[in-house]
Amino acid sequence: MLGFLYARQTGLDDPVRLRRAESTRRVLSLELNHNRDVDRIHGNGINTLDIEVIDGRYMLSGGSDGVIVIYDLENNSKKPQYTCKAICTVGRSSRHVHKFSVETVQWYPHDTGMFVSSSFDKTMKVWDAETLKPADEFQFDGNVYCHHMSPIARKHSLVAVGTKDPKVQLCDLKSGSRIHILQGHRGEILSVRWSPRYEHILATASTDSRVRIWDVRRASGSLFTLDQHNGDKSKASSEAVNTAHNGRVNGLCFTADGLHLLTTGTDDRMRLWNSGTGENTLVNYGKVVNESRKGLKFTVSRGCSPEFVFVPCGSSVAVYGLHSGELITMLRGHYNNVDCCEFHPDYQELYSGGKDCNILAWVPVLRQPDVDDEETNTKRGGTQAAINPAFADAWSSDED
Amino acid sequence: MSRKRALIADTFCLKRRRCAADSLTGETHDGATDIRSSIQYLMTLFSRKLFNDTLPPVVLKHQLYSLHTDKTSVDKHVNDLRENGELLMFQLGFDSEAFALVFAEDYRAKVLQEEAGRKTLGTAEKFLDKLIPGCSDLSFNKDKMLKEFLFSDSEITQLVKSGLLTVRDAGSWWLSIPNSGRFIKYFIKGRKAVLNMVKKSKYSEILRTELEERRTTAQVKFQMKYHVHDIIGADLVECIQTTSGTVLRYVDGNN
Repeated sequence: MLGFLYARQTGLDDPVRLRRAESTRRVLSLELNHNRDVDRIHGNGINTLDIEVIDGRYMLSGGSDGVIVIYDLENNSKKPQYTCKAICTVGRSSRHVHKFSVETVQWYPHDTGMFVSSSFDKTMKVWDAETLKPADEFQFDGNVYCHHMSPIARKHSLVAVGTKDPKVQLCDLKSGSRIHILQGHRGEILSVRWSPRYEHILATASTDSRVRIWDVRRASGSLFTLDQHNGDKSKASSEAVNTAHNGRVNGLCFTADGLHLLTTGTDDRMRLWNSGTGENTLVNYGKVVNESRKGLKFTVSRGCSPEFVFVPCGSSVAVYGLHSGELITMLRGHYNNVDCCEFHPDYQELYSGGKDCNILAWVPVLRQPDVDDEETNTKRGGTQAAINPAFADAWSSDED
Repeated sequence: MSRKRALIADTFCLKRRRCAADSLTGETHDGATDIRSSIQYLMTLFSRKLFNDTLPPVVLKHQLYSLHTDKTSVDKHVNDLRENGELLMFQLGFDSEAFALVFAEDYRAKVLQEEAGRKTLGTAEKFLDKLIPGCSDLSFNKDKMLKEFLFSDSEITQLVKSGLLTVRDAGSWWLSIPNSGRFIKYFIKGRKAVLNMVKKSKYSEILRTELEERRTTAQVKFQMKYHVHDIIGADLVECIQTTSGTVLRYVDGNN
């Protein structure tokens, strides 16, 4: 660590290098911390978590009972023992609460005045965070599985919505209407994701085992479909040609730079794709247990090298190396299935929520004091004591 | 705790890793030979006498995952061996992810041994010549067979009859190992029996050394070690390191 600091100070190393090395070290030492806790408000499982992008201070959670809670993650008390308090909730007593389970929540990417939630009661509501009343509401024909707003969009304010209908709907926040439909899938849309690199690129995953990449500016269909065999038609059985997975595709996540896309499917596999060409990079993560009938929400670390993927697997969260595919560790702590996890990039913390109504915070372990320093201290003290006072120089100083 | 310390030490030993990387590059050159020697080791576990020597030694690709930790590099080296024409890969049919590996020379020798004296010998030889040096496909469709390989319909029928091709769909065929039907049957039965042994143990877990020493029941025709590599590589059991060795724990949710 001192070597890194010295190299940065003298300019031998790029400033990013120290930051990346320390971030990676912190992610590798994630652990349940008995000092950090999150308020337990939900009475039923937690389906989705989202941490706002601007400050990383507020976290939204949506539960199976339709309740939405906002937490303050920052520790302003001077004590290490801290419970992330729930600042406000849209509880069951509110007039505007969702009738059924909330599947996805997302903060408005540009400020925390607004957030959007979608639920199995076939609606998507745009909430004002001050008054906790919906500013707008979109009705759909089927259960809404997921929605996503582009985190970098400046030219448009579209929300992509995936429902039971095979058509992907695009809703415009500025006008309040559903302006666009993307046709091409043949099954329910379980996950949608905008690219963090290009504001017009959208990826959608569906129960027909296909993942499609769209450019919303184009009038015609999708740009391409992800093929797990990279066009090698001989490997698949004839029905499985041109599919991303051998089962339903229920999770999508872009890496932070937008160059790669991760998909998970009910065939217990996770695949890493080059998002520009749609090529399967063939990184083998092994069996990633996936039994979710709805979308699976997983996340990728940011600012580390090598990057890590955090995937909920049963009742624990599995951490894989992104490009190597090896299983680094399993984070165990939940009592029941884990449904969602979210990575806090500034503090390298992971928040995970599941059916046991708990949100657990995984915090990096603090660095232990170096054992070497203590040893050298005792050694120095030892040699000083060993010098016979008769031979000790009275006229020269010991320390330079 | 020691595992955690090892994780942290890795990132900050970047300098040490750089020096070690030179020795590691030596290893990656040998990576392919490393995989080849693992495949040869696994082939020694295959019981030839069971099939009266009609079948070449068959190894499954996921058995290699139990010997090497990095699955991606195993996949890459297997593909390299296939490109070189040393190894052939087959889709077995009972699992979309289970691939069988056979050395090309063994395959050719066995096929010719089977076909010797039959009328289909010529067709089989022609097919093998087209297949072994160049083509690394798992399945063939009609266009390819007729136009690229210049086979006639009757020749394709002969190949299916002698077991070199298996029907996949109307107009397309999987590459297959002749007489592999019995192999697949015994394999699936043996795998189920070994998994039941693990499941019936106390707490559904058993020491790996203990499992390998158990007597094989009538259902299990292959060697125990062959099946143990299979269930570990296919993630049907979880491997846990303990002070007494590796423990295999049955994973729920298998179909």
